[in-house]
Amino acid sequence: METIKLTINGQEVLTHQGQTILDVVNEHGLDEIPTLCHDPRLEPYGSCFICVVEVAGLKKLVPACSTLATEGMIVETDNPRIHSSRKTALELLLSNHYADCIGPCIDHCPSNVDAQGYIALISMGRYEEALKLVKENNPLPLSIGRVCVRDCEAACRRQIVDEPVAINHLKRFIADKDAVHKWTPRVPEPNGKTVAVVGGGPAGLTCAYYLTLKGYKVTLFEKLPNLGGMMRYGIPEYRLPKAVMDDEIAWITGLGVEVRMGMELGKDITITGLKGKYDAVFLAVGAHRASTMRLEHEDEIEGVVKGIDFLREVQMDGPPEFSGTVAVVGGGNTAIDAARTALRCGAEKVAIIYRRSIREMPAHEEEVEAARKEGVDFHFLTNPKSIVSENGRLKAVECLKMSLQEVEDGGRPRPVPIPGSEFKLECTTLIGAIGQAVDTSFNDKTDGCDLERWGTIKVNDKSLETSIPNVFAGGDVVTGPWTAIGAIAQGKHAARAIDLKLTSGNAEQADFSFASFKHHFHDVTKVELEDVSEDVPRQHLPELPPKERIGDFREVEGGYSPDQAESETRRCLECGCVEYYDCKLRRYADQFGVDTTPFRGETREYKVDHSHPLVVNDPNKCISCGRCVRMCDNELGVAALGFVHRGFRSVVRPALEKPLVETPCVACGNCIDTCPTGALAEAFPHKVLGTMTKLDMPSVCQFCSLGCPVNMKVVTGDHFHVANTTSAVQNGPNRGLLCSRGRFGHRYLVENEPVAAPHLGGGGEPQPVDWKDALDRIHAGITGVVAKHGVDAVAMMVSPRWSNEAQYLAQKAARRAVGTSRVGSFAYLDAPHAQSGLNAQLGATLSSANLADIDDAEVVCVLPGAMGEESLVLETMIRRARKGGARVVVLGETGDRMAALADQWLTPEPGSAPALFYALVRQWLDAGKVDGKSTVEGWDELRRHVEGFDAERVMKTTGITRDCLAKWLETFGDPERRMVWVVPPAGDDGHDTALPALADTLLARGGFGRAGDGWILMDRHANAAGARELGVAPGHLPGFMPTEQADDLKSAMESGKVKALVVLGEDPIGAGLPLGKLDFLVAMDRSWTKTLERADVILPAVSAAEEEGTITRCDGVVQALKPVVPMDAERWNWRVIARLGARFGSGFAFESVDDVRMEIREAHPMLSVDRDASYRGASILARGPVNGGTFRFACVSTGKVEAEAAPDVIAAERWFKENIRTK
Amino acid sequence: MKQIKVGLATCGISAGGEAVFAAIKSKLDATKTKAELLETGCVGMCYNEVLVEVLDGDKSHLYYDVTPEKVGRIVDEDVIGGKAISEWLVSGPGVNREAAFFDKQKRIVLRNCGIIDPGSITDYLDREGYQGIRKALAEFTPEQVIEMIQASGLRGRGGGGFSTGLKWKFARMAKGNKKYIICNADEGDPGAFMDRSVLEGDPHAVIEGMMVAAYAIGADEGYLYVRAEYPKAIQRLREAISQCEERGFLGKGIFDSEINLILHIKEGAGAFVCGEETALIASIEGKRGVPRMRPPFPANRGLWDKPTNINNVETYANVPWIMRNGAEAYAVLGTERSKGTKVFALAGKIAKSGLVEVPMGITINEIVFDIGGGIRDGKAFKAVQMGGPSGGCIPASMGDLSIDYDEITKTGAIMGSGGMVVLDETTCMVDVAKYFLTFTQNESCGKCTFCRIGTKRMLEVLERITEGRGREGDIDLLEDLADKIKSSSLCGLGQTAPNPVLTTLKYFREEYEAHIRDKRCPAHVCKALISYRINPETCVGCTLCSRKCPVNAISGEAKKPHIIDPNACIKCGLCHEVCRFDAVVIE
Repeated sequence: METIKLTINGQEVLTHQGQTILDVVNEHGLDEIPTLCHDPRLEPYGSCFICVVEVAGLKKLVPACSTLATEGMIVETDNPRIHSSRKTALELLLSNHYADCIGPCIDHCPSNVDAQGYIALISMGRYEEALKLVKENNPLPLSIGRVCVRDCEAACRRQIVDEPVAINHLKRFIADKDAVHKWTPRVPEPNGKTVAVVGGGPAGLTCAYYLTLKGYKVTLFEKLPNLGGMMRYGIPEYRLPKAVMDDEIAWITGLGVEVRMGMELGKDITITGLKGKYDAVFLAVGAHRASTMRLEHEDEIEGVVKGIDFLREVQMDGPPEFSGTVAVVGGGNTAIDAARTALRCGAEKVAIIYRRSIREMPAHEEEVEAARKEGVDFHFLTNPKSIVSENGRLKAVECLKMSLQEVEDGGRPRPVPIPGSEFKLECTTLIGAIGQAVDTSFNDKTDGCDLERWGTIKVNDKSLETSIPNVFAGGDVVTGPWTAIGAIAQGKHAARAIDLKLTSGNAEQADFSFASFKHHFHDVTKVELEDVSEDVPRQHLPELPPKERIGDFREVEGGYSPDQAESETRRCLECGCVEYYDCKLRRYADQFGVDTTPFRGETREYKVDHSHPLVVNDPNKCISCGRCVRMCDNELGVAALGFVHRGFRSVVRPALEKPLVETPCVACGNCIDTCPTGALAEAFPHKVLGTMTKLDMPSVCQFCSLGCPVNMKVVTGDHFHVANTTSAVQNGPNRGLLCSRGRFGHRYLVENEPVAAPHLGGGGEPQPVDWKDALDRIHAGITGVVAKHGVDAVAMMVSPRWSNEAQYLAQKAARRAVGTSRVGSFAYLDAPHAQSGLNAQLGATLSSANLADIDDAEVVCVLPGAMGEESLVLETMIRRARKGGARVVVLGETGDRMAALADQWLTPEPGSAPALFYALVRQWLDAGKVDGKSTVEGWDELRRHVEGFDAERVMKTTGITRDCLAKWLETFGDPERRMVWVVPPAGDDGHDTALPALADTLLARGGFGRAGDGWILMDRHANAAGARELGVAPGHLPGFMPTEQADDLKSAMESGKVKALVVLGEDPIGAGLPLGKLDFLVAMDRSWTKTLERADVILPAVSAAEEEGTITRCDGVVQALKPVVPMDAERWNWRVIARLGARFGSGFAFESVDDVRMEIREAHPMLSVDRDASYRGASILARGPVNGGTFRFACVSTGKVEAEAAPDVIAAERWFKENIRTK
Repeated sequence: MKQIKVGLATCGISAGGEAVFAAIKSKLDATKTKAELLETGCVGMCYNEVLVEVLDGDKSHLYYDVTPEKVGRIVDEDVIGGKAISEWLVSGPGVNREAAFFDKQKRIVLRNCGIIDPGSITDYLDREGYQGIRKALAEFTPEQVIEMIQASGLRGRGGGGFSTGLKWKFARMAKGNKKYIICNADEGDPGAFMDRSVLEGDPHAVIEGMMVAAYAIGADEGYLYVRAEYPKAIQRLREAISQCEERGFLGKGIFDSEINLILHIKEGAGAFVCGEETALIASIEGKRGVPRMRPPFPANRGLWDKPTNINNVETYANVPWIMRNGAEAYAVLGTERSKGTKVFALAGKIAKSGLVEVPMGITINEIVFDIGGGIRDGKAFKAVQMGGPSGGCIPASMGDLSIDYDEITKTGAIMGSGGMVVLDETTCMVDVAKYFLTFTQNESCGKCTFCRIGTKRMLEVLERITEGRGREGDIDLLEDLADKIKSSSLCGLGQTAPNPVLTTLKYFREEYEAHIRDKRCPAHVCKALISYRINPETCVGCTLCSRKCPVNAISGEAKKPHIIDPNACIKCGLCHEVCRFDAVVIE
């Protein structure tokens, strides 16, 4: 290829012709150009114009992803013009993005607690994880779960349908759960820095908590006798029991916060003093000074008190004894609290006086309702005018009726007195609860920070830093009286700012975070939510009856039951996008600081398509980049998706705008991975998890033998899903593409509980036992059978999906420890060919080419067999080879999709494929293209054998026409062509003579070891190749070493010779296989199966994705596995089997998986378990037969033998078919 | 025998040509007159259709505005009586009513249109038809043909103006055994109809042009991509292709040479963007008509990834003439860098709308006033919109601009396919920009972000400006978006979509400002910004307006001045139209 030179960002680079500018920039790491429509696996398209760059001499900007680099080109990849164009492109895309990035609940919460996330976790029963999520933004959920003003619920979309989701009750539910088994975060080593926090209210406590978690030594100063601030002294006991709050505060201080009580700022401590002693100071002293009612003599008359003072005194000194009528002035929560407290103090009557109507009342509606129920009277549109007293003692309050006047700016209507409407309200106590103010008396000229005009402390909005460096302030003292969650938000903000200041010197945080919201476009209406069922009503908290509750200060409301909580979670509409963290559009929106307001206009709106059980299509989020269309159509040949409409309305939709489920969609989900936004997303079996971060864990697919790399996105604990979005998995031979099994089949691991412990069964409910008892029982059972029936009565069956290490140890335990030769798998009981079909010819049964060879082949031929859905990925490999010029031949009924790929499709009669192969050999011999001299035993026999395959006979046997046969012979006329033969698992053509005939053909041709040449043995099981090589087969030992076997394993099983059976990872009973009468059954599996239920001893297993080990791909490439989710390492299969083996004898002392690997390597030269993707079985064959001797021709005959469909002995496979495929 | 030709191109048909044809036929039958009744294409005077020509040898009587009622007299007096009816004549003995229309024209592309019967290959052959390709095959190598076309200076008439010879050369040089030739007949610009006229009036000229191109580049297969909205053109092409096949002009060994050529017709489904060559190719391949990135250009990777040459109808129609008359004869016409002639479709507020073919270098004023007869109804000439939705508005003050590719491009407009919409003083330039942007917005294929959403947002800004909701900063926003759309779109549609807005902003910025700042539409077009009032001085109280008003917004006693209730008025303008005393004024 021609080399060209170009200049990018002033740097000269060399590349070869045919590369795009983007390729070159990435190859040389010159810049990170943002892209949306680009997927390196797809043909360049160039539609989003995010990747534009400037090329000298061109007036236009060009898309880097689809512009070819040319000689002498001078490119700039970033400058103000490019930046501005990219930003505008993003703004345009987002101006037509009628969707929510996050739920309004999260957005409206002052502290941005991920409500949608914890609701989802609660719905999954993951309470502790839910609580941890809450505490990322709110360390006081026990308290807040009781008293929050719930901005989240006010914003909740559910209320458009009926009522908002009871978000706060759910938070209280998990916080209450946690109160019993408290989760405690890990506190890091002290970082040596100290911070003084002044004020022990929610702001101060929160700041102390988050700083402690960062390793700061925090000292908390509090003036009052107890911590909690306004939550303690302003909120009555019946709403927030102080014991509950103490519990929570103690949990925070218990993390290592030093608390110093009775310390008043300005008196006991000073700002200057603290600043001198600590690295940073946080002032959060609150707003505790009550506002006056501005009535004459209100401070002098006995019986007139201020709301907040009253509540504090009740808290500090206990409830006073009231009698007669108590009047409360005000309409906020403090007024309601004071009124309800007054009732509990024995007041006969309580009246609330409020100058506006109920509609304008700032108090929470539910509180107002509770007060009403308890008998509080409300005097709306009423205002106190003066106090009537007698001898300095309150007698009554004179009030005026008010009327409301609309104000022009749309604010709250102004109350205007109605002249002459005065009336007197007799009362014994008058409580003024009309607001609070900040008390900054601590602040003076020598020791103080700048204040705002209205008395609060002045801070930098971005950092909360005051006019004094390193002194920060937050909470009510900055905001004025606000809410508890507002104070928490400030505390959290301050902690982050202090940490930034002390680590980087700059406290300001760039916290621009873009989020799209539907309500920014227009109000969300009921029409859009018409499909939401109203069947699940909002769950209410149990509460004490009003009569009972006003008797004392007991908490009025109880918590949810788990059933109530579960029911409530179902009401969540999951507004926030499932791709929040994976969405490139949002990421770039953040990066470029987009503002869509100038471009607000019409949006293209669609109903979200939930018709498909596994894929959600939300066209509102589609940016028309066409990646899914190119993926589905060009790469996969499915064409379930396409573009519809033109111009502004154009969008990706299923063909004819049908629901996705009515398209030819094969549910492979590759569209999900390529979609750069959330337009195509997985339909999870659980709620959408809000903004939770996910961890990418590479693994290998556990289904068929293609061994596709999969990326598991672990959300939390053992919860994950498959998303092949990382470049690591996209560099595999499957280029990250998966079939439905690979993508959705791993849900088996998430949705099925692992077996918790060893059990003893054998009648009745299996009982958990410890490992020692279980192994003892196995030892006793097996030795008993051996004593009675001999070692041949014991058989060991192992799943061909288990790791190499587990497979090896299992056969070793059977052969060496127990001494039986009966080793195999139920998977191959009926198909021994699949494991040993080539042993006679080659000394081993293995693939001679690897998957990458498909790319280099001149001809790819797919043999007859049971090519199922797993062929989807293989098809893409073959399709790519075909694009590169390879000819594709398909033999037999391998499915329409494979056939559609073929340049030549032949359908020989079942069992007749050998005729086609021997016809080839005959042709080569006749033409002198093979010399018949290579060292293979049986040339004469082969010559005689192929004599019988003249054209007439081949046509008759195979049913192939003359033209077809001629074309076949022509395609393979030159034995030197690079040919890759794909051999699927034998289908109903059970005779399986095609493979030996193919081997004869290539033996006749001679020459193993070329690139782009050889055969690949496919299998339905992930580690079938490993099982073969490691001798988990009745016919041979590891490394295909021949062995004597007692008799056929299958007939031994059927005739009842086998009395003790150890089944590892297979479920023969679930698959309906008769096991005969067994004296003893041991079964080991990952989750409960029918076989486990029937076993005498049950051992828990892990899947290969949950342990360390290796598995061997169909082509012999060995891939390492790491546990994707945390699982007790003692439970790893190879360790369990090693312990089992050790119970029977020596030779099972392995410290690590590497020890096992080392022994495998030593067992046989071909068993190197470190083979990488360059491995080719042909290099082994090039040296001659695997265990010495000479190659032999098999000279098989044609003919069909009926075979039964292979049973599904793997539980995960059956689960997939029953739970995913049927969808 | 006398011949009677009826103009039956689409313009003739829509003027009632078929009824005239039928009337003549029955009149001939009834009078048992022996005369040959023929169809012909459009001669360019669309404003005079239905045109009927009575031919006696080389004597021609051309009648205009013929209706079935006039047929009787024409047959009786002229066909039978041999005497022209001079008051109905366009041209004939002693009459040459349209001399001005034709004098400044030079007809190469349109030379046969309206003259021959397009359904007759012999008519075409009689006028030197297929002499060009015969000459090419007999006398020149493909390379020489390409040199000739290059020497002629012919540039692509589809809008881009790229050198045709060079384009052929690239396709010739491209490696590959299989090459294709495509004729782009997806004429989509509103206001342009020259390709249709050529296909309807002289289909063989286009086919012959394609033959020459196929020979030159080495293609043996070709497509004519014709919009399905042109049924007459498709019918003509089908006839023409089968006539060629019958005579061995198409198929294997054309004109007894070694050269093979087969041509297919592909009907386009009416997507404007399919006029873009890569989208057109995708459409022929059966894919969604979406442009792709170039390079690779079709000359190297075109239809089915094979080297492909694609030109439009008018370009091909020039080729046979050049082959016959030589490159120099063509190159003497026109200007330094734009040679030959160009066909323009005159439309809008012009007195004589129709097709004209003029040498490059003629001025706008010559076309508008000398050929087109000036502005209709004596209104003032304001601007000319050139190049369709990809083009722009050139103000009347630049009327002396000499028309060639480069001069027009300098103004911000483009030559385009030759649509020329004449605007008068009653046209609101913001409204014009909005009209064309609405068109491009709907016709965008939706692939590129800027074209798909950017044009929509520009349109929304124009909408709010014309609805009186314009804001300060809107002009800047329009200019910024326009600039970005032009520089970040894949194909010509997006790259030129902002042109109508940019040129009107360039030449008529004050109109935009009046809309935004003064909430006033100077041309009295934008409904939200105008009101109707009755001038009591001139109103005579005839009551006509109040009777016509669909919403009863006008009141007043008979013979006394009326008034319009501004709250009830829906600004339909009917009162203004019907008032015979110009008493209804727009403010």
